[in-house]
Amino acid sequence: MEKGFEIKDDVNIVGFTCSYCAFKASEMAGSLRLKYPEGVKVIQVPCSSRVDPAFVIKAIFEGADGVFVAGCHPGDCHFIKGNYFTRRRIYALKEMFEAFSMKGRLKLFWISAAEARKFVEKVTEMYNHLKEGKK
Amino acid sequence: MKTGIFICHCGHNIKHTVDVKELSEYFKEIPNVYVATDYAFVCSEPGQEIIKESIEKFELDRVIIASCTPSLHGELFKDLLKKSGLNPFLLRRVSIREHCSWTGDDLKKNTEKAKKLILAGLFSVVHNLPFEEKVVEVDKSALVIGGGISGLSAACFLSKMGIRVYLIEKEKELGGHVKRLNNVWPYEKTGKEIVESLVSELVKADNVQIYTGARLELLEGYFGNYNVKITADGEREMNFKVGGVIVATGFEPFDPYLKPELGYGRDRRIVTTLEIEEKLNEVVLPEKPRVAILHCVGSRDETLGKSYCSRICCINALKVARMIKEGYENAYIECFYMDVRAHPKGGEEFYEETQVKGVFFTRGNVAEVVPLSRCVLIRGEDTLLGEVFEKEFDLVVLSIGMSSQSENKRLSQLLKVSLDKDGFFMEAHIKLRPFDTAVKGIFIAGCCSGPKDVEESINHGKASALKLFGMLNKGYAYVEPFVADVTEKRCSGCRMCESVCVANAIKYDARKRVVKVEEAQCMGCGLCNATCPSSAVTLLGYSDMILMDEISGLLARL
Repeated sequence: MEKGFEIKDDVNIVGFTCSYCAFKASEMAGSLRLKYPEGVKVIQVPCSSRVDPAFVIKAIFEGADGVFVAGCHPGDCHFIKGNYFTRRRIYALKEMFEAFSMKGRLKLFWISAAEARKFVEKVTEMYNHLKEGKK
Repeated sequence: MKTGIFICHCGHNIKHTVDVKELSEYFKEIPNVYVATDYAFVCSEPGQEIIKESIEKFELDRVIIASCTPSLHGELFKDLLKKSGLNPFLLRRVSIREHCSWTGDDLKKNTEKAKKLILAGLFSVVHNLPFEEKVVEVDKSALVIGGGISGLSAACFLSKMGIRVYLIEKEKELGGHVKRLNNVWPYEKTGKEIVESLVSELVKADNVQIYTGARLELLEGYFGNYNVKITADGEREMNFKVGGVIVATGFEPFDPYLKPELGYGRDRRIVTTLEIEEKLNEVVLPEKPRVAILHCVGSRDETLGKSYCSRICCINALKVARMIKEGYENAYIECFYMDVRAHPKGGEEFYEETQVKGVFFTRGNVAEVVPLSRCVLIRGEDTLLGEVFEKEFDLVVLSIGMSSQSENKRLSQLLKVSLDKDGFFMEAHIKLRPFDTAVKGIFIAGCCSGPKDVEESINHGKASALKLFGMLNKGYAYVEPFVADVTEKRCSGCRMCESVCVANAIKYDARKRVVKVEEAQCMGCGLCNATCPSSAVTLLGYSDMILMDEISGLLARL
C-alpha cells in the first residue's frame, strides 16, 4: 500500500426517515438508550415518498457507503398510500444499484413508530454488512 | 446571512458523551456563524435569555438549536424566536440527544457525529424561508365516536361547554358495556343508573345530535375543519362538519370460545363474569353451591397473543365472588389466579375483605374444564404447591378480559391514527400525552387505548374532552405552511403530479397548461415534489435544496 494512504474503515449510512413512523422510532431508540453505530445518520422527511431518487444518488456521490429509506408499513401510511409509491420507486432504483454492483447499499425498511428495536436492529445489520464488505 | 448556533448540554444527557465545548469552538470558526455557544439547559429561562440577547445583539437571521429531538419543545422555541422579533421558520432544530448522545458511548465518535449533524443543519438552514403561519377558523363542534361510558362523559362535558356534539354509536342504544353491569364497584350503583343520568343530560341538551346504529364512513380534512360522512340506522347517509374528534370505541369482551379447553358454550354451568352479573337470579344453584372463578381468561396469555393485563377482571372476579356469597351464605367459592391485581383505590382492601368472608384463593393454572352430569370438573396445577389437582364444582365463572374492538382497524385507517400491537389506539405519548393521538385534533378516550375501569374511563373521557375544548375554544388554529408550491415557469404541464396526488390537491389549469396547488387540501407529503421530472413542484420546508444540502452536511469530510 502506498505510504500515507489510509483506508478509513468507518462506514457512513444516510437514512431517510418518515416523520410519522421511522423518525419517531429513531427518537424512541434514543430515548430508550439503544445503541447503534455512529456512522448511521438520519434525515427527517414528511413521508418516505418525499425521497427523490436523486437524493439517494446524491448521498452515494457524497461518499455514503449505504442509504436506507424507512417508511410506515404498507397500508399504514399517514398520507394513505405514499409508501406504495416509495416501494415502487426504491425497487426500481435497487435494480439500477444492482446493475452497478452496488447491491446491498440501498435498503428499504418498514418501521412503525413503535418499532425502535427493529430500527436499531435493521441499521446495525446494514452497517455490519457494509463494514464486512469494506474490509 | 448571520447564523447563531446554540448547543445544549441538557444537564449531563448530552455533555456526558459529546464534547460540547469542542463543538462550540469548532463552529465559531465557520464564516457566517456569528455566535456559537453552549449552555447547560437551553430550554430554561436563562438559556432562552441567551438566545434572545444574541439574536438582538448580532441581528441574527438564522438560528440553530442543537438539543433534544425537534418534537420536544417545538412551540417553546418558536415562541422564543417570535419574542425576539425573528420569524419562527428561520429556526432549525438539530437533535444531538436522541440521535447522538444517547445512542453511542464513545465521546470522540459522538462529537464527530454531532459536528456533522449540526453542519447539516447549518447547510440547510440557509434555505429556510420566513413563512407566515396560516390561521384557519375552527368549527366549534366535535364528533364523538362511541356512546359508551367514556364517550358519554366526553359528550356531556363538551355539550356543557357549548360545543356542538355529534355522538355516533354503532349499537341500537347508548351505554355500552357499563349499562349491562349490575354493580359498578365501588359506587354500589347499577351501570344503568350511571349511564342513564348521562344520557338524560345529553337528550335534554339542544346542541347534541345522537345517531345510533351509525357507522363512520369518511373523515377528511384537518383540525378545525373535518368533513364527516356517516350512515345511521343502516341506510340514512349524513354529512356534517366538525372541528375535532374523540374516539371512544371501547373494547370487546374477550371471546371465551377462543379457549376451547375451558368448555365455554358446552354447558350452562360455565359462564362469564359479564353474564353472571347480568343474570345471577336466573342461575339455579344448589343450597350449598361450589363455585370456581377463573382469573385471567384472555389476559396475560402469550398463546393468544394477549400479553397485557386487562386490569378490571380481578376486581370483577372479586365482585362476583362477593355477590354469590351474599346470595348463598354457605357457598364454597374458590378463585384460581395468577396474581390478584386489585389495583384501583380501595381494591386491596376489597380483596382482603373478600378473603376474610371465606372466599378461597388458589394460585394455579387451570388446564381443563370438563362438564359432567353431576358436577363440573376442573383439572389444573397448583403453582404454589407444585401439585396437580382435580376438583368438582357446580358453577364455573370465567373472568374474561378485554380485547380491542375489531372495528378499530378500519377506523384507524379512516382517521389515520395508528394502533398498537394489540389493536388498541396508540397515544401520542404514553405518559406526557395520554389523551392525544399523533393527529392534531383527534383524541382518544376510554378503553379504546387499552383496558381501563369505569372510573378511569370516565376521567379519560372528560380529560380528552377538556383538551379538545381547549383547542376548539380558541376559535382558530395555526396550520403549518409546509405545502407544495408550483413554479409555473418550470412546469411543463405533464400532469404526473396530479395523477399521484392522494389528496387531490393538484389541479390542472388547461388555459395556462400548468398545474396549481389547492393549499387547503394539500397534506404536505412531498410525493409530487419527488415525482416532478422538471423540479417545478417544491414542498415548502422540505425543498430539494434543503434536503440536498443536508445530505452534503451529514457526509462532510472533516
